Amino acid sequence: MQESTFNELADLALRNSGQHFAPTKSYLMDARLSNISRRESFATLDDLVQCLKARPNPRFEQEVAAALTGKKTSFFSERDTIEQIVTHALPQRLKLSKSGKLRVWCAGVSTGQEAWSLAMRIGEEVGSPLASAQIEIIGSDLSTDCIETAKRGVYGHFDVQKGLSIHRLMTNFNRHDNGEWEIKDELRETVFFRRQNLLNPASDLGGFDVILCSNVISSLAKPAKRQVVETLGKQMLPDAYLFFGPDESIEGVSNTIKPSRDMRGAFVRAASDSATAAA
Amino acid sequence: MKHCLIVDDSRVVRTVAGRIIQDLSFTVSEAAHGAEALEMCRKEMPDAILLDWNMPVMNGLDFLRALRREDHGKDPVVVFCTNENDSEHIGEAIRAGANEYIMKPFDAEIVESKFSEVGLV
Repeated sequence: MQESTFNELADLALRNSGQHFAPTKSYLMDARLSNISRRESFATLDDLVQCLKARPNPRFEQEVAAALTGKKTSFFSERDTIEQIVTHALPQRLKLSKSGKLRVWCAGVSTGQEAWSLAMRIGEEVGSPLASAQIEIIGSDLSTDCIETAKRGVYGHFDVQKGLSIHRLMTNFNRHDNGEWEIKDELRETVFFRRQNLLNPASDLGGFDVILCSNVISSLAKPAKRQVVETLGKQMLPDAYLFFGPDESIEGVSNTIKPSRDMRGAFVRAASDSATAAA
Repeated sequence: MKHCLIVDDSRVVRTVAGRIIQDLSFTVSEAAHGAEALEMCRKEMPDAILLDWNMPVMNGLDFLRALRREDHGKDPVVVFCTNENDSEHIGEAIRAGANEYIMKPFDAEIVESKFSEVGLV
């Protein structure tokens, strides 16, 4: 890959998703764009970039940016966080809820496994107060293709065997004759997906009781990280909880979001800022 | 170190699965069918059994039912590993006492994930 190609792609990623690529990571670009490059019959990424420059196409540019994020996911990949949300965060929010309705946003959900996993785990809370709550889960991602996959809820032989016990597979999926497995209708009633660039305002999504955004901010440049945290923070209802991936830090990024004192692994809005949170 | 018995009539599958499971810090022994596996279990119950379905002499399901009737036969964690990938077979295996189920083809990540689901790793 020519240096100019790397620079063009790094700029494109930064502009569209806030993702930062160090020059030593050019091999990641090769790997993540190989499918698009092959599909569009480009011999090299240099050709792909030349095409983008000669014939600007915002939709294709977005697709390239989404592919560059390269987020891979599997069912229950954030098992401990999901457990914390289901056993502590949601019950705590339910105590404060007058309507019995709770909303969860899985931001940067890739092909949907995280949102479906959360819905499965909530469905196992038979006999607990959560069983009678109305819980809506919204999954969002930058990639239109990923969101379409998430909406379909159809996963392959290898996907359903990583992170899912056989009991969860049998309880929550139907098997197709071609060997693929499809999420059952009951689970679809509470899970919705839409495209969302986290660098842009998400006010039309409304307010959330819990937001889970894992494996997104760690790859972002600091200004983009700040922007994403602000976007997420604005959609937090008062006293709502925000979870990132276990190894992700927002230190020095936000003055309005701080670690929760009473909810392990969670962040909350600073008290003085809660008044401006989503209502 | 935990011990896993791999029961499959394919030497290739036993070898591939054996390498994967050894990498998960298990000692591994092998049997080519259910009857051979049952004899081995009577001498020493393994901690885990990776079990094929279709085998000569005694198939995996019959082996599992016989195993669960043995003294300490409920102790081993049994993970089916088979080409029988439809819901009916999976349900039948669980009712017979299987703890987990791997659908072939498999890779190292799947084996580790399934072993993790049942607390083996």
